[in-house]
Amino acid sequence: MLSQEELKTLEVAKTVDARGTACPGPLLAAKRALAEVPVGGVMEVLSSDEGTTKDIPKWANKMGHEFLGIIEEAGYWRIFMKKMK
Amino acid sequence: MAKKMVMAIFSGSVDKLTAAGVVLSGAAAQDYEIDVYVLLMGAYAFKKENVDTNTHMAELQDKKEEFFASLQRLKVPKWIDFFKQAKELTNVKIHICGLAGKIWGGEKLEDFVDIADDIVGIGEYISAAEEADISLFI
Repeated sequence: MLSQEELKTLEVAKTVDARGTACPGPLLAAKRALAEVPVGGVMEVLSSDEGTTKDIPKWANKMGHEFLGIIEEAGYWRIFMKKMK
Repeated sequence: MAKKMVMAIFSGSVDKLTAAGVVLSGAAAQDYEIDVYVLLMGAYAFKKENVDTNTHMAELQDKKEEFFASLQRLKVPKWIDFFKQAKELTNVKIHICGLAGKIWGGEKLEDFVDIADDIVGIGEYISAAEEADISLFI
């Protein structure tokens, strides 16, 4: 897990804006977008669905990627993960 | 090797089909290989002419209006779109039970939605369920 400051300065390869969709929308959007991220690249998922803050970290780790952390913004969350394979 | 999930869909009701679609999506996101077996009432919902017009609910029928309005407000895809999306993400096969198809006048694969893969007998479902890591009946 990275600190909030480290997360804010990350170089992001792909941002997925899934705000306004409910579960499983953000997870499906993340799964689809991950194909466009190079191995070692960071993907950021924007979600206004609170469940995503639990769902994506678990999914990322289970699929062999690295969950990096979450920044809470006004009304949504920024969830960061690194593609590992 | 990918994990396997088998889902038997007996229900032809939009509420249960939507739940099935959400679960299917979760499994697809985790790269499960998924076999969906469409049984009795489910085959009604998977018929081409019913897929867009079916509004049956299995539960809380008096809340139907609220349910459909909420799905729309929350931008929840139609149940069939969950199935289409899952097929794009992972290996999902949709099998229609032969008896179920016949009950609703569906003799051929073309009578069902385009994402249906084949018409099968019940033996295939039992064998697939036996080998699956997760087996669900909805």
